[in-house]
Amino acid sequence: MKVRRIEKGGALKIVVGMRQLADLVEELEVADSGVDIDRDFVKFVSNEWDEAALEEALLIKEAVGGEVVVIALDEPDVDQTLYSAIAKGADRAVKIVGVEEGWTPTRLRAQLLSKWLKSEGDWDAFLTGVQAADDLDGQLAGLIGATLGVPHAAVVSKAEPEGSSLRITQELGGGTLSESVATGKVVLGIQAGRQAPRYAPITRIRQAMSTSTIETFDAQEIDLGPGPKVRKIYPPQSKGQATMLDGDPVEVAEKIVELIRAKGLVR
Amino acid sequence: MFLETVVETRKIFGGETSLEKLVFYLLAFVTLVIFFTGLIRRVKKYRAGRKLVGWDFRGGKAKGIEHVTEPPSHGRSLLDVLTHKTITRRKHSVGAAHLLVFWGFIGLFLATSILALDYDIYGNITRIFFGKERSFFTGWFYISYNFVFNIAGVAALLGAALLNFRRVFSKESELDYERAHKPEEGYKRVKMAIGDHIFVAGLLAIIVTGFLIQGLRIDGSNFPSFEKWTFMGYLVGEGWRVVGVGATLAGQIHSYLWWIHILMALAFVAYLPFSKALHILSSPTNMVLRHPASTRVLPPSPIEHMGYQELRDFTHKDLIGLDACTKCGRCHGVCPARTVGAPLSPRDLILDLRQWVDRSTKNPMIFDWEERPEGSGPRNVDGRLAGDVISERTLWSCTTCMACVEICPVGIEHVPLIVQLRRSLVDQGVMDPTLQSALQNIATQGNSFGKSSRMRARWVKSLDFPVVDARKEHVEYLWFLGDFASFDERLVEISRTLAKVLSAAGISFGILYESEKNAGNDVRRAGEEGLFEMLVEGNMKAFSSASFDKIITTDPHSFNTLRNEYPAFGLTAPVMHYSELLAQLLYEGKLSLTKQSKNVTYHDPCYLGRYNRIFDAPRAVISGLGCDLVEMPRHRDNSFCCGAGGGRIWMDDSFLNERPSENRMREAATLGVDYFVVACPKDYAMFTDAVKTTGNEGKITVVDIVELFYESMMGEQLAGVAAGDSDTDIKDGKQV
Repeated sequence: MKVRRIEKGGALKIVVGMRQLADLVEELEVADSGVDIDRDFVKFVSNEWDEAALEEALLIKEAVGGEVVVIALDEPDVDQTLYSAIAKGADRAVKIVGVEEGWTPTRLRAQLLSKWLKSEGDWDAFLTGVQAADDLDGQLAGLIGATLGVPHAAVVSKAEPEGSSLRITQELGGGTLSESVATGKVVLGIQAGRQAPRYAPITRIRQAMSTSTIETFDAQEIDLGPGPKVRKIYPPQSKGQATMLDGDPVEVAEKIVELIRAKGLVR
Repeated sequence: MFLETVVETRKIFGGETSLEKLVFYLLAFVTLVIFFTGLIRRVKKYRAGRKLVGWDFRGGKAKGIEHVTEPPSHGRSLLDVLTHKTITRRKHSVGAAHLLVFWGFIGLFLATSILALDYDIYGNITRIFFGKERSFFTGWFYISYNFVFNIAGVAALLGAALLNFRRVFSKESELDYERAHKPEEGYKRVKMAIGDHIFVAGLLAIIVTGFLIQGLRIDGSNFPSFEKWTFMGYLVGEGWRVVGVGATLAGQIHSYLWWIHILMALAFVAYLPFSKALHILSSPTNMVLRHPASTRVLPPSPIEHMGYQELRDFTHKDLIGLDACTKCGRCHGVCPARTVGAPLSPRDLILDLRQWVDRSTKNPMIFDWEERPEGSGPRNVDGRLAGDVISERTLWSCTTCMACVEICPVGIEHVPLIVQLRRSLVDQGVMDPTLQSALQNIATQGNSFGKSSRMRARWVKSLDFPVVDARKEHVEYLWFLGDFASFDERLVEISRTLAKVLSAAGISFGILYESEKNAGNDVRRAGEEGLFEMLVEGNMKAFSSASFDKIITTDPHSFNTLRNEYPAFGLTAPVMHYSELLAQLLYEGKLSLTKQSKNVTYHDPCYLGRYNRIFDAPRAVISGLGCDLVEMPRHRDNSFCCGAGGGRIWMDDSFLNERPSENRMREAATLGVDYFVVACPKDYAMFTDAVKTTGNEGKITVVDIVELFYESMMGEQLAGVAAGDSDTDIKDGKQV
């Protein structure tokens, strides 16, 4: 592995996993099946954390050279996202086709992406958004890391090339940052890029559409084994309402203390 | 000197030796060589640009827009040059002084040419063919020649003296060359100022010495009576005599002063293609090439890449336009960006581009350069044109209000250049984050608010009558609202008011519901050409799915692009602004309207007034309703932009000294009117905010023209509909 990298002079091959999600500006409705949102009338957009991952990958490529490959499942409007990634500077785009329509559980997504990553083989880092509206727990990167037996880091806010490795900054909560260096293959869940995702001019996207093609990769039969099953999807139901506390700051503070005491949170 | 005969004439050369004559012809030849070398270099520079191709603005043009997009005929342009129509505009005395210099020197040029024709051509021909030199420079011709060209000389003298006087004593901001964008590395424009002084003072010196030698000649020839027709020369000759210069001394002084005069005149000719004097040739040329459509219907990008990135992206016309600039500063004076402290002055932009082009093509200019460290601004020949040579912030500061194009006396089109440079910034992905998110919203949702397109027509729900879906039913008027009038909480109330007026007037109208998309006027002017085209496709598809006769728009910005730019994409329906429709309703008199007696002023939206010349319809409505209209000092074609146009509404304006809208509101506040009438949703948003930030709340109220109309329509049922309920969601005049 090390020898190969020296030959490439530090250039890295980075794969970015991208997801399509229902646009949250739309009013989402539950489908008749009751276990999914109604996908017929909503617009799909790219996951914003994946866009941050793409930006980080492009910055790495700009610094040390190499290749950026974007990969996504064949989801609604995914071509738009992939072409716009090419317009921004990605070199290749791959679409995994043959996946059953509707919501893809994160576990399945992780397996599908892992298959492609295994078959591709020679990549150095896999970057994807730390979370998505349908993966708020941020499982995707971790699952892929585990499946492939590759080190994984979540909530990454910086991935800077350092020689042939990546120096990774993670947010650990409570304002703590952690820095580590990843040598060899690595899977990263990106929280934010070093800069806001760049703009892809429509002309460039259209140019990408006419000059590049999206590669396809057939989804393979996956046996997920036992796991949870969605039984019902419903909009959050409101339970009670917020209470506004009136008065000057001292009075309000006293009321808050009283409330906390009454709930038995402090003594 | 004495007269050989009694014929009314004079010697062409006043007694110079043949050696001197030889020297003169040699110098004249060298001068012409320098002049033409300079000129050819210039022309080569223009040819480094490209021909403007593929600009199909005429394609399928809707009727009734000719007067804003048709180029003037060459005859018309020439007439404008000869009468100084554009130079005298808004600055009559300066224009008049320039007119005197212009015609004066044309006269003097003709005078010299006639002499050359007589002496060098006619004289030589007759000598060769008839053995004896002849001359037509005698008798009545001589007398009328002197009389006529003495008038020209006096005109030139007076004009040049006035212009010199102005340049030395006037404190006008236009004559101050301070940059709007001050580079950190520093700059000096002393040479430019010196160049200006050399030019106008040089003209004055040439004309003064000309009269002095004419006087000396008449003095030296003992004042022949026929020379009285040479009235100014005769007068000057009398002057020489009074100060004690007799005929002999006059002859001696003459031979010296003649050389001074001649050397100055020749030097001027040689200097011309390398200095401000070049405008004598470049400005009239540019006047003939100017095209009113180029700002209203933006020209396409160069084919190879988006926007202007290198020299060959500029069209011939662009390059001539750069050379046409005389630094008169009228654009600098009217520019709203410059006025409020943004780093953009249209003049600086043109001068920077010109110097960059001259440097790239190695075209030297004398005393017309700004001193800058190597590699800075126009001296950066290797950097990015948009971004390094012209700073990003400079380019993003433009509101595309067109005030510069409107007032430029030599027909320079600044706005298309700025948009071309913005296109290249957009292509690099360089822009304000807020602009980026607006463009992304427009690309995904079709509106800048980032709301679902299904929310676009939600405002109709609270009306107590249905609004026709033009996709399902034929309507006479298709109403195109635009984003602000559809989504902005405060502005939808005005949209409902307009709906009520249309409905009450029995007008057949409908809307496109979720099929309407941002019209793209400001998207295009922000430089996102690809997105603009995508929006046009979307809207054209929506238009073809609907059935209607005409389009009315709320937003003057949408109005401009639909009316002037969409025809190239196949739109044939006439496009109107709602203020025109209101004027029509008033004129037809079908509605009974109560008279109002409000004291109001009216703000001309840039895209309605300057862009589309609709000044009278809104005024007709205002005065037709009985309101007392007090004009602001800057009105009609001189209206002052609110600062929202060209995509500025999506960008940060916190770095400005004041917002353009605040500057405007302060202007209105001096009039003592109670109402500030607008006819544009963006204006409403900007000015309701400016009223608060300038402390004019309670003193002046912003109303939309349709609110006034509605108030009259409802009569006493509705007192004070326009009086402001002011706390709403419009913050800083921007969408939140």
